Amino acid sequence: MSTQTISKTSTWGGGNSPFNVSYGKLMMWVFLLSDAFTFSSLLIAYGAIRYSYPSPDIQKIESLDIGFADDVQSKFAPEVTNAVGNAAAHSTDHVEHFIPAMRDLGVFNELQWPSPDLVFNHFPFAHGLHLPLIFVSLMTLILILSSVTMVLGVEAGQRGDEKAVSKWMLYTIIGGFMFLGCQAWEWTNFITAGSRMYANPYGPPAFAALFFGVTGFHGFHVFSGVVLNIIVYVNNLKGVYAKRGHYEMVEKVGLYWHFVDLVWVFVFTFFYLI
Amino acid sequence: MSSQSNTDISSKEYDPTTWVPEPDTHGTADIKKTFWILLFLTVVDVILYFLIPTEYVLGRAFAFVLLGIVKAIYIVGTFMHMKHEKLGLATMIIAPMFFIIFFLIWMMYEGHFWGTI
Repeated sequence: MSTQTISKTSTWGGGNSPFNVSYGKLMMWVFLLSDAFTFSSLLIAYGAIRYSYPSPDIQKIESLDIGFADDVQSKFAPEVTNAVGNAAAHSTDHVEHFIPAMRDLGVFNELQWPSPDLVFNHFPFAHGLHLPLIFVSLMTLILILSSVTMVLGVEAGQRGDEKAVSKWMLYTIIGGFMFLGCQAWEWTNFITAGSRMYANPYGPPAFAALFFGVTGFHGFHVFSGVVLNIIVYVNNLKGVYAKRGHYEMVEKVGLYWHFVDLVWVFVFTFFYLI
Repeated sequence: MSSQSNTDISSKEYDPTTWVPEPDTHGTADIKKTFWILLFLTVVDVILYFLIPTEYVLGRAFAFVLLGIVKAIYIVGTFMHMKHEKLGLATMIIAPMFFIIFFLIWMMYEGHFWGTI
């Protein structure tokens, strides 16, 4: 009688895959769920600690009259007096003037959360200009674009188009490296300004600790994703998936890559917008 | 949800360690549409950042978290193929995230009463 009830047409009766997914893909989903918990704990910690501090003093910041793309570096440079004693010019050397000026004015202080657009206002080759959110929006665009090339690679794999899989995987890897480069540039800026895990010129030390912790954890995920993408790319060049008869490995690595993009959406929201 | 049935595998012996379903492809039109939606939502984020007055601290936070969740729905639904998966799989992965969202909003509110850490 028991052999009668275990039929192939019953969803949970055994002998088939109830969710109609392979073992590997199901396990990738379970892993991503657990990884989502880990990232959530970091972001929940950020949210709670962020609001345990007073928000930036908006009146004080508006009184500084910093416009978009203003040269804040020379605007807040101390005046240099020449030999005759006249205030000749602003200092034009490459010493950072903006952060010390903000500290003197009390805009950046240990007891108040800094305004993200005064912290993340740099852009490569535009030294000293106030360009809030522009660089991080570019990073978001790069990661979303690399997610699109990834999903196009998955689609090519489903059609069994080996050449197209190689092309899209290569674009995805390039996108990953571009994002990591941006991340490295952002970190370099932050560290050169004097931020450490225990100290932060922009305000509370917790701000820098959380920034390094969360973006570092995310950046390492991106790095791991790039390594996995390279492995899949090389395997595909060697014809491993064509021989296997299916390109499901591209889908599984794709799931991980989209997850990394998804986490960045929330890192962007928490660190740069809120 | 996928309309594909499992009948095609009943012909050969089912081995959970190697079995892979037939690829379920939906073309590239949906992917491109999702890309433009994500780009648009990111631009909306940046516009709202400069538009909403900074006094509305919690209002801003909720607006940005909500936009993040909308972006997440598009990424998970289309890019990660979740809208074509079986309802059971989608529920298993998405249901726990409701607790996370609740916890996130709760702790952001709770932080106000902590004093500086």
